[in-house]
Amino acid sequence: MRVEPLLRVRDLHVAYSGALPALHGVSLEVPHRGVVAVLGANGAGKSTLLRAISGTLRFAGGRVVSGSIECDGRRLDGLDAAAIARAGVVQVPEGRQVFEDLTVEENLRAGGLVTGRAARRQARDRVMELFPVLRERAGQRAGLLSGGEQQMLAIARALMASPRVLLLDEPSLGLAPRLVERIGEVIAEIHRCGTAVVLVEQNAAMALALAGTAYVLEVGRVTLQGSGAELAATDEVRHRYLGVQSGAPPSRHEQLREPELVAQGISVRFGGVAALSDVSLTVARGSVHALIGPNGAGKSTCLNVLTGVYRATAGSVRYQGKEIVNLRPHRIAGLGVGRTFQNLALSASATVEQNLLLGRHRLTRAGFLSAGLRTPAARREQTAQRRRVAEVASLLDLNGMLHRPVAALPYGVRKRVEMARALCSEPSLLLLDEPVAGMTAAESTRLAEAVARVRAELDLSILLVEHDMAFVMGIADEVTVLDFGRRIASGTPAQVQRDPAVIRAYLGTARQEATS
Amino acid sequence: MSQFLELLANGVSLGCIDALIALGFVIVFKAARVVNFAYGSLLLLGAYIVGRYHDSLGFGGAVLLSIAVTATIAALIGVVLLRKVRLADPGTLAILTLGVDIVLATDLTRRIGTDLLTTGDPWGANVIPLGGGVHIPQTRVAAAAVAVVLVVAFLSALKFTDWGVALRAAAERPATAALMGVRLGRIAAGAWLLAGALAATAGVFVTAFPSPGISGTVGQIALGAAVPAAVLGGLDSTTGALVGGLAVGLTATFAAGYQDQLAFLGRGFGSVAPYVVMLLVLLVRPWGLFGGREVTRV
Repeated sequence: MRVEPLLRVRDLHVAYSGALPALHGVSLEVPHRGVVAVLGANGAGKSTLLRAISGTLRFAGGRVVSGSIECDGRRLDGLDAAAIARAGVVQVPEGRQVFEDLTVEENLRAGGLVTGRAARRQARDRVMELFPVLRERAGQRAGLLSGGEQQMLAIARALMASPRVLLLDEPSLGLAPRLVERIGEVIAEIHRCGTAVVLVEQNAAMALALAGTAYVLEVGRVTLQGSGAELAATDEVRHRYLGVQSGAPPSRHEQLREPELVAQGISVRFGGVAALSDVSLTVARGSVHALIGPNGAGKSTCLNVLTGVYRATAGSVRYQGKEIVNLRPHRIAGLGVGRTFQNLALSASATVEQNLLLGRHRLTRAGFLSAGLRTPAARREQTAQRRRVAEVASLLDLNGMLHRPVAALPYGVRKRVEMARALCSEPSLLLLDEPVAGMTAAESTRLAEAVARVRAELDLSILLVEHDMAFVMGIADEVTVLDFGRRIASGTPAQVQRDPAVIRAYLGTARQEATS
Repeated sequence: MSQFLELLANGVSLGCIDALIALGFVIVFKAARVVNFAYGSLLLLGAYIVGRYHDSLGFGGAVLLSIAVTATIAALIGVVLLRKVRLADPGTLAILTLGVDIVLATDLTRRIGTDLLTTGDPWGANVIPLGGGVHIPQTRVAAAAVAVVLVVAFLSALKFTDWGVALRAAAERPATAALMGVRLGRIAAGAWLLAGALAATAGVFVTAFPSPGISGTVGQIALGAAVPAAVLGGLDSTTGALVGGLAVGLTATFAAGYQDQLAFLGRGFGSVAPYVVMLLVLLVRPWGLFGGREVTRV
């Protein structure tokens, strides 16, 4: 006789308002005490599936069209998010979403609101044991924690509800390899304690190692399912998600010319904390320069100083021979420094084309009056701007979606839109903040090709911050490595990969992971 | 000097009332993301009920009735009217409350008509000498005491109870709070209920001596204090509401007290002064003194 599963999703169809259906007949079963992994590219419907289970579709403007979700025989579809959490199905949302203004202790308390006093005390002891760092930080505001610590707090907060099923949405997103490994251990431990887990992950290596059963979603349908080991052995999964058989790295720019950007001795202090100490780097004209380092190393801070968002306490930044340190952000952008944002700075309700036109703001001459009156000159300019936007969009394979609202696009595509927006300002130096975070291996290969194409066609210099080592090593001419706000190494990718300080700080665990 | 001290004492006590008003305004914004323009007429409703029933029920009974009725009506506005459009744009919701305000205020003004309604409070027109020729009305002392007690109770509840944690979590990230089992509808309804109770309480003190009594304009005057107080403190900050309320009370009292010296600014500058302070604060800190700064991590 067959054992009834704890959580059962049957023939689920989901649609978002104004967009195409997102799930077409997805079925999935989570056994008691089981770990189920859900893999797939961006836009495959993984997050949608979790939203449907946890009842948060309506916050994203979606709804269940047909099908059913049951936990232990009880229908969950139709209940609201709070009732589902109270039924023991608790989700760790994508992107941590800790309550930043609350202390760590209060965050945990918020997670335990659905249980009684005794259960809460027990759960609290358990999460403190699982995450000792949270005990040290109990009284601090959660907004002050690092990205990795926030992820741990988000998991701990969900565990406070003593869930029967824990839903995890991309827990390893944007974390350095060392932390990904730690999160993997934690999930294994949660499983050992008897909680069923549904794990949505881009990091297929980690997910398949943990999962009893795994499902692969493609464009809203389950295309593969089986045990974690079985799936890990299939060629398709190995090729797509484990990055085995990687293509040849894109050709390097041959001739390096005079420097585009020279930063010398930049230091940034926040109160008493030194976020950057005496960091120098040079971006050669026409080159791709990568800035790497573990979480909290100061990479984003460095980018923010170069673009004028943060003020440097000391140091100088020369761009095309001109001093730009501590200029206002719009002045620096006006000089031809474009950037993308890690958390995407797109207007969600506007279309792709409107977002890209915004990127051309600095090149638009028609003022408030002439644009409002639609003078012939303004109309001509608008036509020209739209033509240029279409050209940039085609460089990044976005032509087909110019008139779709950004909110309706999957994350991976939005990241390309973000890059296109930066390119629309016709920069001479492009700064990319984690361009492939949250993408699958296949998508990041595609983006690497796009970056190479864009650099060649638009004659750009590029400075990028990224965690994905394979991406960085394949694309960069020069690499600068930061750790704890200091530069610990710089040179060609090959030199950096051999540097013992770098291996200690960053690559050590990544290497192990790649070979295991 | 004695004029200064008298104005200071009166300003602080008026500030306590304004802080109560602003607190009710802020709590609804924090929990339900609605700028509640119906707040002024809720306050008028609270005062009206006390004015109508203090003869038959006694002052205490009338106040309790007023708090119960006003809180219920506030919760009904919050739950019934706004529920239908819960995920709508905040601007739409604010305009909806403006409509409720007009309906409620018009009806109450009609009911008051030409009657001379007073709260019938036990303090009457008594004043307490503070020495050195400085006097303060008893109602103001009572108002300050009640305000302090309510505010301390409210802030402790927000800090230490499950309800407080749930409210703050829901205010910061509604979708995530729902994932933790927080029932957003109940949190919002609770905030409206509380705002109604605060409005009724403040209504009693706003219309007591030295104010001439209950009239249809009371709501507008109260909203005129709540908006600058809440905005200059930071719309989503309870601490901000308290500080903002005090600042508004002090500013209005001092500007009115020294109006002879300020005559070059025109008569009645006292009622405009809080807005001047608000604008000055917003020039330096656009998110208010304690408001959640729109921090974007880039």
